[in-house]
Amino acid sequence: MRARDAGLASCHTCGMLLHLPASGHTHCLRCKTPMHMRKPKSVSQSWAFLIAAMIAYLPANLYPVMTVVSFGKAQSDTIMSGVIYLLLHGDWPLALIVFVASVLVPLLKMVALLYLLITVQRKSHLRNQQRTRLYRVVELVGRWSMVDIFVVALLAALVNVGAVATIEPGPGAIAFTSVVILTIFAAQSFDPRLIWDYPGDINDSTEPTR
Amino acid sequence: MSSPEPQTAAGTEVIACHECDALHRVGQLAPGATARCHVCGATLARNPKGGLERPIALHTTALILLLLANTFPFLTLEIGGRQEITTIFGASKALYNAGMGELAVVVYLTSILAPALMISSSLYVLLAVRFRKALPAVRLLLSWTGQLEPWVMLDVFMLGVLVAFVKLGNMATMHTGVSLYAFVLLILVLAAASSSFDAQLLWRRLGIPERHKHAS
Repeated sequence: MRARDAGLASCHTCGMLLHLPASGHTHCLRCKTPMHMRKPKSVSQSWAFLIAAMIAYLPANLYPVMTVVSFGKAQSDTIMSGVIYLLLHGDWPLALIVFVASVLVPLLKMVALLYLLITVQRKSHLRNQQRTRLYRVVELVGRWSMVDIFVVALLAALVNVGAVATIEPGPGAIAFTSVVILTIFAAQSFDPRLIWDYPGDINDSTEPTR
Repeated sequence: MSSPEPQTAAGTEVIACHECDALHRVGQLAPGATARCHVCGATLARNPKGGLERPIALHTTALILLLLANTFPFLTLEIGGRQEITTIFGASKALYNAGMGELAVVVYLTSILAPALMISSSLYVLLAVRFRKALPAVRLLLSWTGQLEPWVMLDVFMLGVLVAFVKLGNMATMHTGVSLYAFVLLILVLAAASSSFDAQLLWRRLGIPERHKHAS
């Protein structure tokens, strides 16, 4: 049985179970957080963050994340060319890790959220367990995409030797960070319990399907 | 008015899975045991070993390491006879100097501020519960620990250090500073500290505030 069937809601912050009054509005007795049966406006908020992330994904990959100026020569690197550089000049295990973290993870994360949002809106009840597990993985791995931004920040801090060499962050870095942060927000707004909800549920909080 | 779900048998509690909403009766867990949801497999409740003493010790160590990691040089680069020393803060400062304030804020938040706030607020709550002191803002700080968690990216930062090492390897000589060793230790200690810390357990220890109990 689900908590919803018993008219119970659990607090997002401290996990306390409370009877939710008919108005649907109350605060947690233990930690004062506003209580809801499901995260309010979960689906539309998650869509908004996801669409914004998908838009930012293009400039994130097309614009350079950093520019190396060495002896008057400038060379720009995008996310992908950075990975290729590592493959050619570094070692392949590291190149593989960076490829997974900064190319594969953001892409798969957006596809996974897209799939979860669409199936929730269609009120699908196929593979609920796998979809919940997919959500868990999405929440866990997203942060690793930030690795490229830290690399750019460290290189910019270290290589600052005037005429010899300077490394400057490029516009792609801002777009890429936006992708990472927006997908983290999109995953946080999504309520995995919606996967397990039925169309006729009391105080249904999913928005009508378009 | 809402009312708390009444406790069933002694030590048993009704918990709803936060991922699929399935209701469970969870009894007293043995130290080190984890209760999982029978429907979706999510973690329902934990009872980390070591009571309150272990997380207090680990969080104190983490706090000291964090201070060390942010005090001394992190990396030194030798290029063309010149030395460039950087600290962890230097990473966000460089972004700020390059005119990317937004990015500098994100890097500062994920590499310094969020870890510092998370470690110190966890320690504050742990000490308040351990010594049964009614300190101000305990509940607020305990709710912070959960919200800050996704923004603590020390391990990701470390991977970034490794990549930076390889990228600069054939261009310049790199020296590691004291901070780097403190930072590596910090990541290990923080992982142990987080697994010994269970926010839900602390919420249960704090219970419902007195004035509310009288009201309902």
